[in-house]
Formats: sequence, structure tokens, C-alpha cells
Amino acid sequence: MKPRRARRRGAFTPYLFLAPGLVLFAVFRVYPLLEGLWLSFTNARLGRAQHAFVGSANYVRLLDDTRFHVSLVNTAYYTIASTVPILAVPLVLAVALNRGVALRTFLRGAFFFPFTLSVVTVGLTWLWLLDPVIGPSTYYLRAAGVPVRSWLADPSTAMWAIILTTVWWVTGYYLVIYLAGLQDIPRELYEAAAIDGAGGWRSFWSITLPLLRPVFLFVLVTHVIGSFQIFGQVFVLTNGGPGDATRTVVQHLYETAFQNFFHFGSASAMAWVLFVVILAFSLLQFRLLRGHTQY
Amino acid sequence: MNRPAKVWRALLTTLMVLLAILWLLPAVWVLVTSLKLTENIVRVPPEWIPWPATIEHYGEVLFSSSRTARIGRAFFNSIVVSLGSVALVVLTSAMAAYPLARMSFRGRNLVFGLIVGSLMIPNAVILVPQYVLVQRLGWLSTYQGLIVPEAAMTFAFGVFLLRQFFLTIPSELEDAARIDGADPWQIFTRIVLPLSQPVLGALAIFAFRSAWNDFLWPLIAVNKPDMFPLPVALALLRGAYAAESYGPIMAGAVLSALPLLIVFLVANRRIVEGVRVSALKG
Repeated sequence: MKPRRARRRGAFTPYLFLAPGLVLFAVFRVYPLLEGLWLSFTNARLGRAQHAFVGSANYVRLLDDTRFHVSLVNTAYYTIASTVPILAVPLVLAVALNRGVALRTFLRGAFFFPFTLSVVTVGLTWLWLLDPVIGPSTYYLRAAGVPVRSWLADPSTAMWAIILTTVWWVTGYYLVIYLAGLQDIPRELYEAAAIDGAGGWRSFWSITLPLLRPVFLFVLVTHVIGSFQIFGQVFVLTNGGPGDATRTVVQHLYETAFQNFFHFGSASAMAWVLFVVILAFSLLQFRLLRGHTQY
Repeated sequence: MNRPAKVWRALLTTLMVLLAILWLLPAVWVLVTSLKLTENIVRVPPEWIPWPATIEHYGEVLFSSSRTARIGRAFFNSIVVSLGSVALVVLTSAMAAYPLARMSFRGRNLVFGLIVGSLMIPNAVILVPQYVLVQRLGWLSTYQGLIVPEAAMTFAFGVFLLRQFFLTIPSELEDAARIDGADPWQIFTRIVLPLSQPVLGALAIFAFRSAWNDFLWPLIAVNKPDMFPLPVALALLRGAYAAESYGPIMAGAVLSALPLLIVFLVANRRIVEGVRVSALKG
């Protein structure tokens, strides 16, 4: 840092460098956030030129909006149910890849590939695979004697189809993160454990898992925050159905604002409820991660 | 290495290769389907070799005049939007990250804190007000209405990533240039940026991926079919589900995967490194 030079050269220089980015940031991030808070206290609608302050009416209405409640429950269900596979599947793959397997780069690339696809491409792929009439999975499962239903049209399985799709999509991303975490564990620890007579399982439980704690927390919180906002998979695979079985908060928000009611005020109130929930989890992340990143 | 360990490694490798193939099968199935004749697509049992193969679905989505032709146009739109957003975000975040890393001035910590703090703002939360803003600007269904908000979404991450890198550049290089009479802009463009090519590349790939794949924002910000980017065009084509549209949809899905697949094959290591850095230091 060179404060004297900066001053001599003109105190404005840093601000000139910052200006374009800050304009972008202020106009398209900060302002919409605050505008959204204001809208949530108004009766704004799509196409309505004027809107009026209505106090907490939108928030009060959310208390009676059963569809919103269902969407909250669905989002929580999705988040909780998907957490175990999202934590476990990439971990198992990463540990296996870290055991001196040949073709590592190819294998990592194969698992990572779906993550380069858009959610729409991923959704269409699985819509097609799970098709009850012509989907190949249907054919092979039936051949194996599994009673095949229309998974996406059945309220008890539709959400699981969405979870399966998501696991396929994001496993590669978390796999890479786990691999990085595994490589940061000092080799000497395993060597010392081996000298002490610890087997593979023992050192996995006593060394790998505890030392991966910060990575677990990162994956967990990233996944949970992302899950609260799940939309694309739902939109493509089920559009919230059957009935309301897979309608999530953002899907409901989208429908409220842009499909059925064009009610911006109410949708903004939902957005802020969602934001507060997500914020609580983000802060939880900082609390949990603090003090555990060093080992 | 002793013999049991070798056997164990070979077994594990075989198992993982089989798993990886299984993992890729859904994508392979899409590719295979896109190359089949329409009448063969819905055949049961599933045929894994598209014979006779055809590229007619690709021709249809790219060039024909039917409604599936929107895919060709959407491909072009996605390219324009993604490259535009990459250029905007790399430029603005590099310019902003430089003084945050290398100059001292009033409000530096506040500005950096605000930018990093904004990483916690979920995109879904500002969807409605962003729509109101873009509508007021008259930017609905325009390229700038997609490019600028996409860039704004990635800006904070870009500043964070680039600042970390700029901090590692030895200050002697800048001092030497300063003594030679270079002004801050010259130092930035002739010394800092060239030294930062790998991290700028990682940011460009990250920004390209997020603009290319974004779905929710273009879904609401575009209502003219001619301006749809690929994910929106593909998702809406799904509505027209019928045996004849399977081929074109699958061809469109393959086309949508192509640019990132190419980037990925060329820069596999850099992408993986980028994910690693963004996640664990973020």
C-alpha cells in the first residue's frame, strides 16, 4: 500500500477504477434488494403504474396462503431429503478417487460433466429417461421386475425424482470440493495411524471424517442455501405438480408474480421471508465455520 | 507396491470406470436419441446405437423455418448474452478489485465488505424488483436486459476472486513501472492484467457458465420468442411434447451442452482449480 503516492497522484484514482463496477453493483444488486423490501409493503402489480403502501398486509396474507405454506413444507422436505445423498454420494466417490485410482482426471471429468449443463438440459434429460412409456429406465426396471409407475405423476415419488435429478447434476461439483479437502489432509497422519495399527476403516473414521469437517459444513450450507431457491428442476420436471406435491417457494413466487396473479407486492413479501431464512443459515455457516477452518 | 495392493487398485479402478460410464449414460442417451430417425426414437426396447444415424434434427433446429428453428436463434442469443456478460464482468470486477487490493483510500474496507456481503443475496429474492427496474429502463426482451443483470450477479464473486490474486503480485513490479513514469491505468493494463491471465481465464469461464446456464432471469425478462436464450427456448419447447419434437429437443439439448463441453475439455484443470478456489477460500 502506498498512501502517499496515491494522494500525490490524485485521491480520485481508486474511485475512478471502482466507479463502473460500483454503478453496476449499486443499480442491479443493492437497489433491487431495497426496492423489493419496499414493494413487499405495497399493492404493486405487473402493469399497474401506481402502487400504494399497504403496511404489512402482504405478510399477513402469507399467514393464510395455504399454497405458500405447502411450498415452504415442500422446500423443507426437498432440502432435508436431498441433504444425505448430496453429502454422501460425492464423498464416497471422492474417497475412492483419492485411493490411487488410475485414470483419475478422466473419472473426475466424467462425474463433473453434468454440472456444466444447464438446469433445463438436465431436467429434459431426466424427463426423457423417466418417461413412463418410452423412457429407458422404465424399460430396464420393468425387465428387472421392479413395479414401474409414472414417478413424476405420483405425488409420493415426484419429489424423489427431482432429488435424483439434482444429485446427478451437482455431485461433480461437490466431488471436486471434497477431493481438494482430502488432498489437504497431511499424509503423515495416515502413515502414523498405519504404524499404530489402524486399518482403512479406522483411519477413515478417525482421521478423514473429522478433518473434513469444514468441507462438510461448506457443502452442507451451500447445498441448503441453494435448496431453498430450487426452481429450474421443478419447473421443467413437474411444474409444481402433481397437485401441489412439488411446488417450492420460488416456483410459487414465480407463479404469483409472473404467471397467475401478477402480484408483485405479495411475491416480494415471499422473497423477503425466504431471504430471512437464507440469511439465518448463512450466519449459521459463519458461526460454525469460524474456528474450525484451521487444523 | 505389493501384490494385494495392486489387485485392490485395479479392482477399484474398474469399479470406478464402470460407475463413471453409468453416470454418463443419461447424457449419452440424449446424444444417441438426437441422432436417431424420428420413427426409431420411441422404439422399445431402447436402442443404444443410432442406426441409421441422421443429423436431420440438428438441421431442423438450426435452420428450418418451423418453430423449433428458435433453437438456432436462441443459440445465437445465448452466445451474445454470455460473451457480453463475460466481457462486462471481467472488466468491471478487475477494475474494482485492483484498487481494493493495491491502493489505500477512504472507505476501502466498507466497499469491499458490502461487495462480499452481497454474495449472500439470493438471486430469487431480487427477481421481482429487478424485473421492475429493467422494465422501467425499457430493457425487457433486449440483450442488455440480460447481459447487465447477469454480469451484476457475478460481479461480487469476480471482485473477491481477483482481489485475492492481485494481493499476491509482488509490488516491486508496480514500483519499477511507477519510477519509469507509468500512471496507474498503465500499470493496471500493462503489468497487472497480463500477470493475471490464469485467474482472469478462470473468472471468464465461471461467468460464461453462469450466464449460459441461467434460466430464471431470462424466463421472466424476455417475452419475445426471438430473444429467448437457449435454456428458455428449450424449456418452452418441452411444452410441445409429441413424438416428432423429441428429436429436435434432444438435438437442442446437445447443442446447449457443446460450448461448455469444449471449454471443459480444453481447460479441465483450470475449471476444477477454479471451483476449488472459489469454494474453499470463499
